[in-house]
Amino acid sequence: GLLSILRKLKSAPDQEVRILLLGLDNAGKTTLLKQLASEDISHITPTQGFNIKSVQSQGFKLNVWDIGGQRKIRPYWKNYFENTDILELAELLEEEKLSCVPVLIFANKQDLLTAAPASEIAEGLNLHTIRDRVWQIQSCSALTGEGVQDGMNWVCKNVNAKKK
Amino acid sequence: MDALEEESFALSFSSTSDAEFDAVVGYLEDIIMDDEFQLLQRNFMDKYYLEFEDTEENKLIYTPIFNEYISLVEKYIEEQLLQRIPGFNMAAFTTTLQHHKDEVAGDIFDMLLTFTDFLAFKEMFLDYRAEKEGRGLDLSSGLVVTSLCKSSSLPASQNNLRH
Repeated sequence: GLLSILRKLKSAPDQEVRILLLGLDNAGKTTLLKQLASEDISHITPTQGFNIKSVQSQGFKLNVWDIGGQRKIRPYWKNYFENTDILELAELLEEEKLSCVPVLIFANKQDLLTAAPASEIAEGLNLHTIRDRVWQIQSCSALTGEGVQDGMNWVCKNVNAKKK
Repeated sequence: MDALEEESFALSFSSTSDAEFDAVVGYLEDIIMDDEFQLLQRNFMDKYYLEFEDTEENKLIYTPIFNEYISLVEKYIEEQLLQRIPGFNMAAFTTTLQHHKDEVAGDIFDMLLTFTDFLAFKEMFLDYRAEKEGRGLDLSSGLVVTSLCKSSSLPASQNNLRH
């Protein structure tokens, strides 16, 4: 309709990027989101709905949508697929609305000794079989902030490449 | 035959005068400013405002309400344009719009765009709920309405709503 066409016309020149942050419950999505926005991360509770933050990075306005990961919420993820520029988890690669959307996987909680290393996760998720889009796995700790910015730099680089 | 007519209309629309385009933009302004549109918004908010809570985290229910709102506004605008411009064709107009995209600046388009902004939508509901429940009608909000100050000088109670 009229409004969605307007939105498409206006959003491109403004360099706005919509990022969808999905993953299992207790993966640390909201912590990651708050870390990105440089907000306090000491009182985060399981997300029942969704959070949105806008972050400026390298001339882009990154609108990050963090959707709760609990099993009962996962069926609602599809309501947020429209107009997504970057995706941050696998499993959704089959979705038509998300075809060709670059995917960034955060291997979070690397501050824990027991965390699986990124290489192991990449193998477990069979990332090397992805052919239809660019992807990246980034180890990080949303708690300490390590690796989070590296992930966002990748996002900006790939949005650039995609929009050109 | 219908398809042909639509096509020729679209062609004429995109090739003929900017005057035609400007006329539609003028009507759009009238429609949005009209009391009837305000009423439509208020009725919609009346139906759902109790769902909205002033917390940072959003409830999943906001999303279908937001989508319903966008459809409602789109449908209303189209109906109103049809009433005012006999034979108006939205598909043709949006095509023209895409050709005029560099001129899609003015206030009216900014205003239409705010209808598609989720956070603005949430804020509108929170303001409405505060008004309904008698909050936000204190002296300070009265001062805000009549003040010439920019938003940076709004009292803290107002700023809290703008994350």
